[in-house]
Amino acid sequence: MTSDDNGIEVGGLVRDFKKGPRAVDGIDLSVAPGEIYGFLGPNGAGKSTTVLMLTTLLPPTDGTARVAGHDIRREGARVRAAIGVALQEAALDPLLTGREHMRLQTALQGVPRRERAARGDELLTRMGLADAAGRRVGGYSGGMKRRLDLALALVHRPRVLFLDEPTTGLDPSSRSELWREVARLAREDGVTVFLTTQYLEEADVLADRVGIIEAGRLVAEGAPETLKAQIGRPALEVVPRDALQRDALAEVLERFGSAAAAPPHAAAVRLSRGNDALADVVRALDAAGIAIADFQLHAPSLDDVFLAKTGKQLVSGEEPDEQAPADRVTEPVAS
Amino acid sequence: MRRFGQVTGAVWWRATHTFLTNPQFLLPSIMFPLFFFTAFAGGLSSLGDVPGFDFPSGYTAFQFCFVLLQASAFGGVFTGFGIASDFENGFARRLMLGAPNRTAILVGYLLTALTRAAIVLCVVTIVALLGGMAFDGGPLDVFGMLALAVIVSLAATLFAAGVALRARTIQAGPAMQMPVFLALFLAPVYVPLDLLSGWVQTVARFNPVTPLMEATRAFVSGGDADIALAAPVAAGLVLLFAAWALRGLRRAEAAGG
Repeated sequence: MTSDDNGIEVGGLVRDFKKGPRAVDGIDLSVAPGEIYGFLGPNGAGKSTTVLMLTTLLPPTDGTARVAGHDIRREGARVRAAIGVALQEAALDPLLTGREHMRLQTALQGVPRRERAARGDELLTRMGLADAAGRRVGGYSGGMKRRLDLALALVHRPRVLFLDEPTTGLDPSSRSELWREVARLAREDGVTVFLTTQYLEEADVLADRVGIIEAGRLVAEGAPETLKAQIGRPALEVVPRDALQRDALAEVLERFGSAAAAPPHAAAVRLSRGNDALADVVRALDAAGIAIADFQLHAPSLDDVFLAKTGKQLVSGEEPDEQAPADRVTEPVAS
Repeated sequence: MRRFGQVTGAVWWRATHTFLTNPQFLLPSIMFPLFFFTAFAGGLSSLGDVPGFDFPSGYTAFQFCFVLLQASAFGGVFTGFGIASDFENGFARRLMLGAPNRTAILVGYLLTALTRAAIVLCVVTIVALLGGMAFDGGPLDVFGMLALAVIVSLAATLFAAGVALRARTIQAGPAMQMPVFLALFLAPVYVPLDLLSGWVQTVARFNPVTPLMEATRAFVSGGDADIALAAPVAAGLVLLFAAWALRGLRRAEAAGG
């Protein structure tokens, strides 16, 4: 890798904390220039610690990493000059206005003085914050703060962008806007994006490749479609009309594959013969006298990938709230 | 070096801008020294008549010197509060990410403290002069007095910054404030050192703030300041707390900001 590269190369990255388990336990990964890499995992998996190390905010205990061609241990200043970072909690001063934040950030990043105001205004406009630029950030909504944080991360035209759970706490509309902007940065400006998230949909929509981290270890990596294809088989979820027949329903379904995660009032099976088994399932249920209230066929999702790789289910798809639950990992109903 | 200056300037601009545009920060910084000055110089003025009180410029000028150093020191402590708050709410990470050399952040905070002290000292000095304070020193004495105020501000800021960078929470406020408060008030605040007695005099005699305060008073009264003692004490305090603050910065970096 040369110093002109926009990629990320990580080898055996480790971070220990004095009073706690190993937060990051030997991660190896590679992100190509211009790629959007989704780093997926539940709270406490080690995503943010990895970002802190790659952005030179936290020294690693062991291992190596090069960001934009620079060693994070020995060339911290060069790494920082090449990257833009929007951390999980938007680091904003509630007493400064949006425009004042831009002024501060452009100065911090060494943007030439004569370009600062124009660059700040350009980014505020691009993020839809021009009208609010003169207002103090303390009065901004969560979505506005996130957009301002992203704008601040871009003032010096970084080659690599780190976004740590950028949409946590945002409403669906704000999330979509942010996704569009991140995608545009990668596709049009060629910025490499390292994105951590606990939302499967986010990784699925945005990322060219996904790394799944669990308990500090990278347990799977690849393009979302590739990972889903590895799981391969669709899941059939059936809701019995009579809830008392749920166990009998599960017994019948297990003839057609392995049990899969399902809500308490339903049973699910990962069909070993794929969609070809559907007619046989219906006939078997009919023969067993089980009336069906509803059934759904699920194509493999990243949730299934996560379940298959970690044995746990990453809760996803709910409305994110400002204070994300401490533990989004649930044991599967059946495995 | 250019980037160092840009980061220092940015940190200074933001903190000073916030200080000047928010009355909740500006007013207490000015009101506290004025209150101390008014209360001590006014309410305790008869102490100037005590036998043995030999300060030629009068009790108001005597108290002005204390308030001068107190305002300088507390400007530093309040800057320490700001540093701790920046780390607690995550804003410090923005600064850490923007700085090629993070010592520039510390220097920015130091300049902020000096600016705060300069603003407060201007107000206090104007009020003191309007209130009839006598200043018997010459231009060189003014320079000496201001130099000591700057040094006290630097030392207090570096001390508070060292605490803030280690604790990284505003809950460390008392640990920044209390030692400075004790050091100031265990110096000869109300009467000259010779009029103190008992353990207070013993503590005051060895308190490093005492030679700084006595030198300040000598500058105000146009007397002979004991520079041979005050200068090394001042330099020692700044060097000691600079090392303390820089090690604190390294600790904050190791902890992830």
